[in-house]
Amino acid sequence: MKYFKETLYDAICQEFRVDKMYFEQKTDHQHLMIFHNAMLGRVMTLDGIVQTTEADEFMYHEMLTHVPILAHGAVKKLLIIGGGDGGILREVLKHDAIDVTQVEIDKAVIDMAVEYLPKHSDSAYDNPRANIIIDDGMAFVKDCSEKFDVIIVDGTDPIGPGEVLFTEDFYAHCKNCLNEDGVIVTQNGVPFLQIEEVKNTHQRLGQHFTDATFYTVAVPTYYGGLMTLAWASNNVELRQVSLEILEQRFKEAKLNTRYYNPAIHLASFALPQYIVNQLD
Amino acid sequence: MTTTARTVIYGASEDDCRFYQSSVEKHGSPLLLFDSSKLKQQYRSLQQALPNVDLFYAIKALPQIDVLKVIDELDAGFDVASSGELDILLGLKVGGRRTIHTHPIKSDKDIRDALRFGSTTFVIDNLDELKKLQPYRGRIGILLRVSFRSENAKVDLSKKFGCTEDEVANIIFQAEQLGLHIKGLSFHVGSQVETSDKHVAAIQSCRDMMLELNQKAKAPLSILDIGGGFPGNYALQSIDIMKFCQPIRDALASLPEDWHIYAEPGRYLIAPAVTCVTTIIGKSMRYGMPWYYLDDGVYGSFSGKIFDHAEYPLQVLKEGETSPSVLAGPTCDSIDIIDEQIELPELKIGDFIIGHQMGAYTAATRTRFNLLKEAKFIVL
Repeated sequence: MKYFKETLYDAICQEFRVDKMYFEQKTDHQHLMIFHNAMLGRVMTLDGIVQTTEADEFMYHEMLTHVPILAHGAVKKLLIIGGGDGGILREVLKHDAIDVTQVEIDKAVIDMAVEYLPKHSDSAYDNPRANIIIDDGMAFVKDCSEKFDVIIVDGTDPIGPGEVLFTEDFYAHCKNCLNEDGVIVTQNGVPFLQIEEVKNTHQRLGQHFTDATFYTVAVPTYYGGLMTLAWASNNVELRQVSLEILEQRFKEAKLNTRYYNPAIHLASFALPQYIVNQLD
Repeated sequence: MTTTARTVIYGASEDDCRFYQSSVEKHGSPLLLFDSSKLKQQYRSLQQALPNVDLFYAIKALPQIDVLKVIDELDAGFDVASSGELDILLGLKVGGRRTIHTHPIKSDKDIRDALRFGSTTFVIDNLDELKKLQPYRGRIGILLRVSFRSENAKVDLSKKFGCTEDEVANIIFQAEQLGLHIKGLSFHVGSQVETSDKHVAAIQSCRDMMLELNQKAKAPLSILDIGGGFPGNYALQSIDIMKFCQPIRDALASLPEDWHIYAEPGRYLIAPAVTCVTTIIGKSMRYGMPWYYLDDGVYGSFSGKIFDHAEYPLQVLKEGETSPSVLAGPTCDSIDIIDEQIELPELKIGDFIIGHQMGAYTAATRTRFNLLKEAKFIVL
């Protein structure tokens, strides 16, 4: 394959030159590739959709990780669902006091990412604070008796293997695994082109949490402008923490980030009207 | 449906005889011999005959991996109708943007499988089908299939599918109400039509409808899929595809330049590229006629006799005085007869019967009846 053409939308698509194919695997109905592109570094695609690139992954991973952790302020236990590439785990482990459980359905994804996308996990899978469980995320939260302060859902597109992670049942089980002050955040697509996802997720999370909303990050290779990250909690104050407090927490955590900072944290909850209009 | 007399070739060159003999010695019998250069040649001829048309090979005609590889090398598109067909393409690493999903009736799983594969063009012909696509409206493009009945076609593909011309405007309007975009029209005049008159009439009707709709539609219709129907050469007379397509080219020339034209050839591309070799495994005299029993029949490679109404040109390698004979297939069923009145010289067990033009809707529709061994597919 000399060029990769994304297949998310019929009328438009982004195309990447494949400079070197590192890994290509077809299993059952799934087609996974990792290749090098001169501008973006290593690119991982699944079923014709860009999952992550070395060049811009920091934007997504930092925002999906540090926003809930610093908003909460005292996270001790954190659960990652999915996230096999290790980017979220790497960011979470930057916080010294947090014990992480990561539930990934497919061990092969982790092995493959460690080998071909090593910068994503940056040795995070060797860290003793990381408890890696190979299981179906849905099954895990359904049977889980533990409680977490933060749940980060880093899944794929809702059409495909990550489908179940967008269901109301899944959110209901997640709620049962969260402490009272806990928060769940999830990857939720690019609303300019996938407005249904915002509508559906808001409605489904709203059944189980008093505060369900979104914050945004613009990841260049998730084509289409802002990406929404869903946010749900029963503690509305979590997203009203002041800039001063966030700055203090940021400083104490000694985070070295490239996208996240307290100002963008607060600003990211301001939503453009085309998204707000979906939340009524 | 019209019936065509079968073409029979008597005798063969020494080279041909040796070739069939050695193929069977090497691979056994029955065989389907695939000549990829013939497929490439057919593709190039059709490309020349329809220069500004994107060609999507109708996988259903012969969903054989070696065939699909050649189509892939030619950089052609693929017309898919099921998740199973997508799975084969996945194995070949064909990208979704080179495919169109043309089955008018789909389950939600079919739609999701196609989207996961990256196939984003779907065909509908009614409102129920339209509603199934609503959850995916942001991702997809829809072609509306219109029915133009064709009495002269051997297989009338507009009976089962396609809305009437009267329904078009309402379906487009309903789609807009649901937030779905119908990006164009498609039609199938039927397979093996003798002239391109039906294509031309359908192109003109679609053009007129699209131009009129585009005056009001929120987003213009810009794609016309003219389907298939390009002839197979069962009479073994040279088919001038340039000439067959001349009226189509003229009709297409009257379309706005920025429209995209698709076609879904199957038979024209693959039929001549596959030759069937069968062996006589038994004979008897019945009702005063010689009966020859072959190792392949209508439950196998000759299934198109039943499903596709095709009478394939047959070749016997011998010449000699002929008499009316019967060619029967190997299964226990009495319907398994390839020809019950064919002039043949006297043949013996072990002789070959060669079936030409046997690429399209042959192996694709065979059954496993009697659990007979299917013809081995050999790439030449």
